[in-house]
Amino acid sequence: MTSVDLLTRRSWLRRSALMATGMSLSGWLGRLAARAADDPRRKRSCILLWMAGGPSQLDTFDLKPTHANGGPFKEIATAASGVKISEHFPQLARQMNRLAILRSMRTREGDHERATANLRTGYLPQEPIRFPSLGALVSNELADLDADLPGFVSVLSQGAFAQSAVAAGFLGPSHAPLVVAGSGETLKVEDLKPPSVSAQRSRERLELLHKMEANFLATRRGTATASHVTAYDRAVRLGREAAARAFDLSQEKDSLRDQYGRSLFGQGCLLARRLVERGVPFVEVTLGGWDTHDNNFEQVKSLSGVLDPAWATLIADLKDRGLLDSTLLVWMGEFGRTPGINPRNGRDHYPGAWSVVLGGGGIKGGQTIGRTSKDGSIVEERPVSAPDLMATICLALGLDPKKQNLSNVNRPIRLVDPAAEPIKEVLA
Amino acid sequence: MMQSHIRLLMLILTVGVSSAQPAVAGPRDANELAAQIDRRLENHWKAEKIQPVPRADDAEFLRRVYLDITGRIPRPADVHDFLSDNSADKRLRLIDQLLESPRFAVHFANVWRAELLPEIASNREAAAFQRGFESWLRERFRAGVGYDQLVRELLTVPIAAEGQDAEPVLRDPERPNPLAFFAVKAARPENLAAAVSRSLLGIRLECAQCHNHPFAQWKREQFWSQAAFFAGLRRQGDGLFAPLTEIVNQHEITASGSSKLLQAAFLDSNTPKWQKNRTSRAVLADWITSRDNPYFARATVNRMWGYFFGTGLVDPVDDFRDDNPPSDGALLDDLARSFVESGFDLPFLIRGICLSRAYQRTSARTDASQENARLPARMAVKSLTAEQFFDSLTLATGYREDQDKGAARRQFLTRFTLTGSTSEPETSVQQALTLLNGRFVSWATDPEKCPTLIAATQTPGMSLAQRIETLYLTTISRKPKAEELDPLERYVLQAKSNREAERLADVFWTLLNSAEFRMNH
Repeated sequence: MTSVDLLTRRSWLRRSALMATGMSLSGWLGRLAARAADDPRRKRSCILLWMAGGPSQLDTFDLKPTHANGGPFKEIATAASGVKISEHFPQLARQMNRLAILRSMRTREGDHERATANLRTGYLPQEPIRFPSLGALVSNELADLDADLPGFVSVLSQGAFAQSAVAAGFLGPSHAPLVVAGSGETLKVEDLKPPSVSAQRSRERLELLHKMEANFLATRRGTATASHVTAYDRAVRLGREAAARAFDLSQEKDSLRDQYGRSLFGQGCLLARRLVERGVPFVEVTLGGWDTHDNNFEQVKSLSGVLDPAWATLIADLKDRGLLDSTLLVWMGEFGRTPGINPRNGRDHYPGAWSVVLGGGGIKGGQTIGRTSKDGSIVEERPVSAPDLMATICLALGLDPKKQNLSNVNRPIRLVDPAAEPIKEVLA
Repeated sequence: MMQSHIRLLMLILTVGVSSAQPAVAGPRDANELAAQIDRRLENHWKAEKIQPVPRADDAEFLRRVYLDITGRIPRPADVHDFLSDNSADKRLRLIDQLLESPRFAVHFANVWRAELLPEIASNREAAAFQRGFESWLRERFRAGVGYDQLVRELLTVPIAAEGQDAEPVLRDPERPNPLAFFAVKAARPENLAAAVSRSLLGIRLECAQCHNHPFAQWKREQFWSQAAFFAGLRRQGDGLFAPLTEIVNQHEITASGSSKLLQAAFLDSNTPKWQKNRTSRAVLADWITSRDNPYFARATVNRMWGYFFGTGLVDPVDDFRDDNPPSDGALLDDLARSFVESGFDLPFLIRGICLSRAYQRTSARTDASQENARLPARMAVKSLTAEQFFDSLTLATGYREDQDKGAARRQFLTRFTLTGSTSEPETSVQQALTLLNGRFVSWATDPEKCPTLIAATQTPGMSLAQRIETLYLTTISRKPKAEELDPLERYVLQAKSNREAERLADVFWTLLNSAEFRMNH
């Protein structure tokens, strides 16, 4: 498709979107029109390291080495004075000045699906409202809709719990995550390039398509056709050389790729940096396997070995490129794990007292917030709810948590539940 | 019996017998129902000065009614037959034929499953129940049971009484399994109350689950009083696969976060009459499916209206509230009355809707006054479910599931699951990439591999125009117009003579990627 064609298609979309204000078209299309008028310059980005399954706080960032619940792991000192973390995070320990640990998460959902939905959207599932996930909310606020790359990229999320909770919900397809899947050692966007068709032939096909459906689109204006046009437009732009290159990790030095670790998650963190560097406002990278009902310690040790180099290198790499101050880092799962160790040497689901780590742009690093009891079972100081956390994340990104979006039930919904109290002391 | 009776009546009516009977009890034949729909709408057009679009041509109607009733596009032979049929009642006969085809039960089982068990799209454990639940629905639709009967069977499915051996919820994933409904809702009274109210009664009671909303009509106590009908259910163990038992006479519940015991109560002024050894589920089912229930028939006809026209008379279709009135209350009442009179006969209701002039209008906008989404001055452009889309792709390309052990089907069903509402269908970037570049479409556009392309490019004796026409008929179920054919012929002829098949494959690719193929319009 030529750039002129594209321009025509896009300006058509704009026009039809603007027309929508006078028609009965509701929902995302109207909002698309409103966005088009906004200043597209974005300020911040967010990388979410999503620990699917619920990581054990007692074996990562809130150790209880003197209590029977503590398990075998030792604490080590970090670059931040007084802040201690697991011995299996030696590289991360050196970056601790950039990170703040929230040790007093207290939520109520102990079911993977519901808890995932709760932490990803900031709301409890409430059918039929389709709450957008954090990624979609951030994309809606900060993405440049004219950019070739999408506003929300989800790396390695396939097969995770509650897929619907990581989606765009009522914010519509422009903010749906682009999924980057992994297999073996490689990450890729499925079907980004036509397998065996020349660029010339691809172009000809798209021109043919454009002509062929022009009459249909013109006589059937509305959300269905507009969404079809938007999706194809974005898919084609994504396939363009420069955009597609963002996903090509072979452009990076081997030594840097090694530092991140040759795990899928490690390479995913590197990809996150490449995307943020190119203006993508929200990238999430999933590391699964934290649902450690059995053999908790072996599994957490092994996962820590993947997490430590990837995350620590990400911080250093962002810093080297001058991106750390504008990139918020969030490390969390859907809940924590029981302080008590079960007979299978495992830990079960525990939403009552657990940890989340924030870092990078907008965050005052090198500190811990909140405290759990000696046995780790209750929050003794500064309980933090899922909405509190969401509001804090919004503020760190420069977003107003009280801003409203129109939902699919035609009711305005705030970015974050208005009962939320942001954790002011963690904000820079 | 009933159906042949109706058909006889319709036959008589179509040859000109007056149908001016008093509509006290609601019309009993589908033609009369269709006429009633159109009378109501025409009053509306006049009052609002709206100019409705003209009737859809045969090809547009054919594709639409196939997708709506059978869940997939017509075959090219079906298009040929229908276009060449000159009889006046061919649309009526087609509607009947499709309602009697096995595909009707298959497709409506998919549609009803998606409504009753939406969890299956996002929860992997719940997905294990999909086939059994659809198989049960299919069987009931095929048996032609009334919708009231189907709902009664669903709500009163036997569950072992407390003390007996617990009821396994999943013996065989393929076997018809209505118990899946209770299992997937985790047998929790609040989940079941929310689902029953919303899917069967059109009431979003769950909003009142946690607290009263200042202006809402439903109160928190009413939510929990509805939940109390399911209070006797017990799950013996954790997880969706745990077997179930029931305390038969329990019909009271404690609302979460409260200590007050609430009795089961209906949402209207009727009061439950308890009988020994009769489950509270059965008492609830009697009330729901009663001819006098103020919600059930209206919610059902509204759901069907929304299904066929894209937007409900009350919209969203499951959100009946005082402050969300129907776009035409009298029409909603007419439909509900006819539906009850027919014995809650879904095929009858579908006939009535599909026979209306409103349903048979084109989706192409011809006048600005048609942009009223609430009442169908033109046919809406509707989304396809993942099943509708893939089953149509299968027909268009000649794909056979055994060629890849169903891998393509599974991929499409996951990737093309509907997330939005039917009135605001959405295409994601991922879906566009799948269709632009994915393996399935690559196979489908390989002139050496795809059966449709092999036939369209290699059948001897066809002109180029006929080859292109074949591709149109197989995908978007119509013939190309002259102004469409000319540029495509030129496109193919530009190719070197040995590349003609490749160029035809490009035309096929284009059709498969077009909005016209992707949507029901």
